[in-house]
Amino acid sequence: MRPSILLAVTALSIFGQAKPDFDPHDLSGHWNRTSRFQTFSNVFSGQGATQGTAEAPLTAAGKVRYEANKPGYGPRASPPALGNDPMGTCDPLGIPRLLNTEVISPHQTLEIVQVPGRMIQFFEWHHDWREVFTDGRALPAADKIDFTWNGTSVGRWEDNVFVVDSIGFDDRTWLDKFGYPHSEEMRLQERYRRVDKDTLELTMTLTDPETYSRPWVSDTKIFRIDRDKSKRWDEQIYCVPTEEYKFNQRVRDEAGGKGAGK
Amino acid sequence: MPTIGRIDVLQLRPRIYWRSMLNRRAFSLCITAVFLSGVTAVAHHGSNVSYQLDKTIALTGTVTEWEFVNPHPQIYFDVKNESGEVAHWAAELLPTPSMMKNMQVGWSRTTMKPGDQIQLVCNPSRVAGAKACLAKELQVNGKAWPLAGGPGGPKGKQ
Repeated sequence: MRPSILLAVTALSIFGQAKPDFDPHDLSGHWNRTSRFQTFSNVFSGQGATQGTAEAPLTAAGKVRYEANKPGYGPRASPPALGNDPMGTCDPLGIPRLLNTEVISPHQTLEIVQVPGRMIQFFEWHHDWREVFTDGRALPAADKIDFTWNGTSVGRWEDNVFVVDSIGFDDRTWLDKFGYPHSEEMRLQERYRRVDKDTLELTMTLTDPETYSRPWVSDTKIFRIDRDKSKRWDEQIYCVPTEEYKFNQRVRDEAGGKGAGK
Repeated sequence: MPTIGRIDVLQLRPRIYWRSMLNRRAFSLCITAVFLSGVTAVAHHGSNVSYQLDKTIALTGTVTEWEFVNPHPQIYFDVKNESGEVAHWAAELLPTPSMMKNMQVGWSRTTMKPGDQIQLVCNPSRVAGAKACLAKELQVNGKAWPLAGGPGGPKGKQ
């Protein structure tokens, strides 16, 4: 091959590459989680195959709290009438459960909005939302923490990975619908990476020595962008306590053997 | 049933399932089935522990109340037996109202009204004598109403 042709081919291969058709630092949009793992870790929750494939590194204290939680899903599922899932009374699900549980199409989605100084996540379930501060502030000192359902979060970019560190979680929430607990000591790190224009990956690591004997890493959650979201009929998906209570009393309790009557 | 975790399935693929196009198709169908079963699990708390999903009963009754609300729509209805005794029943529907709206078949809070006649096939409770069930197939005044499918509804038959 002539040198001039070789040069041309090399130049084409270097400069002719198409630009990525997405900005890896743009996480905005409606996202549906497509991975069917609704737990914090890689515990498969599909109906008919509800046994876990990985066990949480619970401490003795963590195990006591885990056993006290009575979920409606997973290997320890009990009828809602006999359970105590916070979802069954419309309590806030909190972080990270909002990311683990109810962001599956066509159920409901997660919307990410990035504005100067903040990244905001909107969850269709409950019409809940959280702020991740990106203005360079630090997490509050231990004696300044206000414990909240969604915690306090700050975010930063590490190359093309958006890293969110959070503390200050109210310990009444569960990690997922399998009933895994956490304490107020929990620290959570989320790592978001836009893989391509349609795909977002999330992995999480929680550190909570009171509940788990070592840092616990989630499976990789996969989200697909939902550009047709605006074409769908969108209900205000609130969990309404009065409606939930009536449903529990008239259906769930009857089906589950409490027999409160209708 | 042994666990079918994602890691297990991926490990099996090269050894067993990708030997031929036929087996690849079988693998694909198998995975689809697993995912579809997950779709129904998404929507409902404890359906497989509250109801006998492997059994169905057929009920004919008169609607007393229709609640098209979260978390799951409910039908309350009276069933009269051969001796004329009336029993009051409740049936819950698996999809949420938003899922049913997105099926685009006309589900709404006026789909039923008191006095309408319904025919229902549903999964009975695991509790003997409980008059609550999980709806599988529904007819209202002779018209069938799907509980899955459509453009934005839950996939697969319940």
